[in-house]
Amino acid sequence: MVCAENYGSGSAPHADGPGQRRSYGLLMQKRLTPMAVIETRALSKRYGSHRGIEDISLQVERAEVFGFLGPNGAGKTTMIRTLLDLLHPTGGQALIFGLDAHRDSLEIRSRLGNLPGSYATDAHLTGRQILNLLAGVRGLADLGRAEELAQRFRADLDRPLAHLSRGNRQKIGLIQALFHRPELLLLDEPTTGLDPLMQEEFMRLVAEERERGVTVFVSSHELNEVERICSRVAIIGDGRLIAVEAVADLLGRASRNVTLQFDGPAATDELSKLDGVHDLEERDGRVAFKLTGDVNPMLTVAARHRLRDFQVTRPSLEEVFLTYYSQDAA
Amino acid sequence: MSARSLHVAVPRTAAKSSARRPQPVRSLVARGLADRWRSVLAWGIGGGLMCAFTAGVYPSIQDSLGQALEGYPEGLKEAFSIGELSSVEEYLSAEAFGWIVPIAVSFFAIRSAVRSIAAAEEAGHLDALMSAPVSRRELVGATFITTAISTVGVLALVALLTGTSAAVFGAGLSTGLLLAGTANVWPFAMVFGALALVVTGLRPGPGVTTGVSGAVLVAMYVIDLVGKLADPVEFLRHLSLFKYYGMAIRDGIDPLAFAGITLGALLLAALGAWLFDRRDLDG
Repeated sequence: MVCAENYGSGSAPHADGPGQRRSYGLLMQKRLTPMAVIETRALSKRYGSHRGIEDISLQVERAEVFGFLGPNGAGKTTMIRTLLDLLHPTGGQALIFGLDAHRDSLEIRSRLGNLPGSYATDAHLTGRQILNLLAGVRGLADLGRAEELAQRFRADLDRPLAHLSRGNRQKIGLIQALFHRPELLLLDEPTTGLDPLMQEEFMRLVAEERERGVTVFVSSHELNEVERICSRVAIIGDGRLIAVEAVADLLGRASRNVTLQFDGPAATDELSKLDGVHDLEERDGRVAFKLTGDVNPMLTVAARHRLRDFQVTRPSLEEVFLTYYSQDAA
Repeated sequence: MSARSLHVAVPRTAAKSSARRPQPVRSLVARGLADRWRSVLAWGIGGGLMCAFTAGVYPSIQDSLGQALEGYPEGLKEAFSIGELSSVEEYLSAEAFGWIVPIAVSFFAIRSAVRSIAAAEEAGHLDALMSAPVSRRELVGATFITTAISTVGVLALVALLTGTSAAVFGAGLSTGLLLAGTANVWPFAMVFGALALVVTGLRPGPGVTTGVSGAVLVAMYVIDLVGKLADPVEFLRHLSLFKYYGMAIRDGIDPLAFAGITLGALLLAALGAWLFDRRDLDG
């Protein structure tokens, strides 16, 4: 655990311009050691007899982009809303910045930005009116980096939201989550409705925020996106945590898809006897199977034969995700 | 390590180059008033035109009113607080300020309170707002203040149109009594606006909140009416706010009743804030 005195008083140096922001990022890198920005301890939320989330314990460290994955109704949004104190937990505890998510919620919320899933607000308001309201609530004399973000996302701040497409409303949602330069971002399905170009821009922005020392907690169905931006993910099913792992480890440990095209009789029997080989299929000398664990025994078998083609592919996060759920369901 | 010590340990990356003191209540009230000016105009002009018509016709019918009233049953006259109707103030009280105006303005206050929280919550608008550093109590407080100011706006329009009409048609309406009569509606309406905040704290949704608050308003009117008509149940009038509302446009404001009703509204708003603080927000 990190000692308080390592960080000084905790007051923020001013970071007006981009240059100053960069130097502040460096300052943070030098002064800080990793610590949990989000920590939940057996966090539970039930709605009467209905399950929300159960016994969720996890830690998200500073400057980490953390993915929170699960199918519809798994409890992702309940988790985020409990962290924000919009829902009161029925068990366990959540700490953000080391502060109690319920008791110290105001202090916490002054330091984070949130994009709710299905972002909605008064449709007759313009983006600028929404941001002005939030700037007043947050004690900002101006709209911070809202103009810069609006330019970047090609968002129109001066039209009522009722006149904007879903994707353009989502851009306003992203801007209101980011314009005050929060230390923590909670993003629930952030790229919903965004076109591919804007999705790319969003992913660049997340990478920049991480460089700046911002922690990002992102719930998403877009597993390709999660695979690209997240360093670790938690997988949740039926309100319970199934796994928390580094994306690289998760993909590395997952079954590889192997295809061997034999130039002659296929070594099906030899391969099927190897540890870690499963779902083996053979057709016209082409053997396809999934392989977990050590690849060397398989290579040894393959080397004893003449091959026409050889292919090993890692599964996408989506395949891993589906594997987890099929195991969980079983 | 305590949570507090960790709190000190965390750096603030937010660039507050142009920071000022957060003013959540002020910001919410300003936004709420900007959102409501059209409805203030609609309700104020609607109610004001009705009262203006009532005041405007008085000079032309005042001579025949005495004859017409002779045929009215005494109980009915008592129920609707119809006296001799020998002044425009009495006439306005019987026709408008005794029931239609307080009921209508109370509905405005209920709708205003419901709009800011219960309706916004059902539409999913509160998640983004409540992710900012604004407490539930501040939200309820801002809603109460917004409703209070908006209600003043509605009543000011009612007073303006009524007074103008009375002056144009020579009704001889006392400005002091007109202001007293309209001002007296304000705490009455705020009780029902605050009642809507209490119901909101119980989380039934905007439709039920409006329905329950409105039903209590109408029930109080009916109880007061029945209590006036039937002596055996007269005691029930103590349950109705109309009993304490009085006839300020004829008699002037009763300061004790005015203060008591205002205090009641504040206590209800505080109860609403306490209940809202304790429950989950629907997303």
